[in-house]
Amino acid sequence: MEPSPNGSTNFPAKSRLTMQHALELSHVHFTYRSWKEEVCDSLFSDLSLDVQEGSKTLLLAPFNKGKTTLAKIICGVCPKYFPGMLQGNIGLFGRDLSTLEPWDLLGLCSYVSQNPQEQFIAASVEEELAFPLESMGLAREEMVRRITAALKLWGLQDLRTSSQQELSGGERKRVLLAVQEVLQARLWILDEAFDDLDQQWRDLLRETIRTSDKTILVLASRYLEEFTDLFDHVVLLDQKTIHTPALDDLLPRFSRLCGDDQPNPLEEQVLEIAEKHRLSCTNLQAERKRQSTLLGQSFSLHIPDFHLQSGELVTLVGPNGSGKSSFSRLLCGLDEPIGGSITIDGQALSGKELSRKVGYLFQNPDLQIFLPTVEEELSWSLNRRKDLRAEKVKSRVAECAELFGLTLSDTPSTMSYPQRKALQAAVYFLLDRPFYILDELDSSLTYHSALSIIARLRQRGAGLLVITHDRHFASRITQRGYSIVDGRMESL
Amino acid sequence: MTTSTFVAGKGWLYRFDPRAKILLMLLLCVWFFLPVHLVGLYCVVALVMFVGALNTGFSHVSKTFRSILPMLLFMVLFMPFNVRTGRPLFTLCTLTIVTEEGLLQAARLAGRFIGISYVCTLLFATTIMNEVMLALRWYRLPYKAGLVVTLAFTYIPFISDSFNQIAESHRLREADREQGRKFLQRLRDLVPTLTSALVVALRSIPNLAMSLEMRGLGLQNKRSQYHNLASYRHPFTHFLLSVIIPLVLWLLCKA
Repeated sequence: MEPSPNGSTNFPAKSRLTMQHALELSHVHFTYRSWKEEVCDSLFSDLSLDVQEGSKTLLLAPFNKGKTTLAKIICGVCPKYFPGMLQGNIGLFGRDLSTLEPWDLLGLCSYVSQNPQEQFIAASVEEELAFPLESMGLAREEMVRRITAALKLWGLQDLRTSSQQELSGGERKRVLLAVQEVLQARLWILDEAFDDLDQQWRDLLRETIRTSDKTILVLASRYLEEFTDLFDHVVLLDQKTIHTPALDDLLPRFSRLCGDDQPNPLEEQVLEIAEKHRLSCTNLQAERKRQSTLLGQSFSLHIPDFHLQSGELVTLVGPNGSGKSSFSRLLCGLDEPIGGSITIDGQALSGKELSRKVGYLFQNPDLQIFLPTVEEELSWSLNRRKDLRAEKVKSRVAECAELFGLTLSDTPSTMSYPQRKALQAAVYFLLDRPFYILDELDSSLTYHSALSIIARLRQRGAGLLVITHDRHFASRITQRGYSIVDGRMESL
Repeated sequence: MTTSTFVAGKGWLYRFDPRAKILLMLLLCVWFFLPVHLVGLYCVVALVMFVGALNTGFSHVSKTFRSILPMLLFMVLFMPFNVRTGRPLFTLCTLTIVTEEGLLQAARLAGRFIGISYVCTLLFATTIMNEVMLALRWYRLPYKAGLVVTLAFTYIPFISDSFNQIAESHRLREADREQGRKFLQRLRDLVPTLTSALVVALRSIPNLAMSLEMRGLGLQNKRSQYHNLASYRHPFTHFLLSVIIPLVLWLLCKA
């Protein structure tokens, strides 16, 4: 592998004649403006990157190094909507970005966000795809042609009139990829686009990238199996700028930055199991109907047999929309089954009782943390217990914060994503539930961070059900597994 | 950042032209403020709910009622104490607490509130948002004004969804050995839930603006239309019905 003129790693097999620069970042500096008017540390300093037209570039960055901010800067929405100070030159297909508005980039550059929910603006899948095409003023026949083809490609025909609120995380991601498809912009920016997708759609995305004649920039905080031999260039964003070592040096360096070289905390972990419990489901049944569409059949869930014991680490894998979240909601008592039973130690429990026995860590931590400081967040549940005195609460909170590497005076809403995820786990750690469900914990976390959280929650003997799409991650943690397809669960 | 209010169905309201439906909604909203008999008012409310149940299903009608119930209770509980005129029904020493006039006004207010809530809900439950937008534009409303209206009616349910998700998350965080919560404790617990929902809503504002501009809102060229209203048959008949229905109801119920 030879270094290219811009210094990034070149793969000879993929090298191609390039026409012009699709994207040129030159000496870019960026600093977010603090809402407290404090001086913030800069996010980028003297950052330069050239992306050739028609090339496929992978930009690897550990968490919180600014990859999403970089994507938003390229799309012209930062600092416009996310205030900060931006310096340097940015060119997009030969045009100066500072002279363009975000809507001017519609046919030039499209962006798939890490968090799909933040990009939805329309009331249904079909309208979501139609909105940008209507903005472009395309003829109706052309819109119909593009939308029909994109819905078919991403398996969304039955969901075309569905509301985004009724879609699973993976289905939402596929809608955004379908928007990308109908837009046919010259530069695609895909921010953690493989996250949330199951293997079938990951393979399709890989194939789409491989065969596309567009310029593609993929931003990722983990090096996935799917990336192998897919890109012309791989670069690293670290220490506020872009580094372009050879791939043989880049990947080990990136791995170290992510903490993947550290020992697996689950290996040789000695558990402190005080009491043994067993959670079982027999012939569990549930039904769900999408309110916003008559297309497709109503979804039914059937779990013939599922069990989880104290100290066990069990994985649940399955395609998008197969019923993983529906099952999790039943297990923690948020929804009522229409048949079958959920028991703990042989005793059937009501929904309310289950919600006090089974902790459910949502994929999005922001829906589970809501108080002004870490200390208040951690003590919220303990303060409501009559059997604990104030000093005891304080000492437990302090111990827990130390264990999870949290600062008690920090404000959760301004903390980084991995820290918010750690805080979410710390809250549940203090609740000391006998069982936990971790919904796609590995998504948007390094393997090491995810494994550390699992190890801490499991330390006192809790049984853990880990939902994941990542085969590599599943293989690192699993003792036993279940798969769920079209609402039917099977033991692996 | 948006939640659809549309409930898929095949009832006659789904085949009613959205332009005529908007007119019917506006006229019915006006109707509820006309001088009509109280019994007539509640008969029309019952009729609207019945039509809603036929078209969107009983569960949607009951869900709508549950969502307006807190506001309804708040209004009905305090209204009688504000009206001092009329025949006293309950007095404490020399102080009149509730009068017949106060109760009648509270009943009328509740009827209007339920009726208007259901009429508006039915429009958005039986019409897809893009067709509401097309109908508003047919009435010569500028595109951006129409977009604001339709976004508002999808963004508010999104905040409501966020509130429900956060409330669920709080439920999951209750301590195992927690004592049963009293009414005041429940009220106090609403504060962090509401605060969190507000934070989620505020955070989503720049994202919504960002996404709209990235999808081309702001471009000066003429927008094309993916949907159209051509599939609705007999619009004139629908307009005629939209005028006749409120008129007949008024003739039947006028005071």
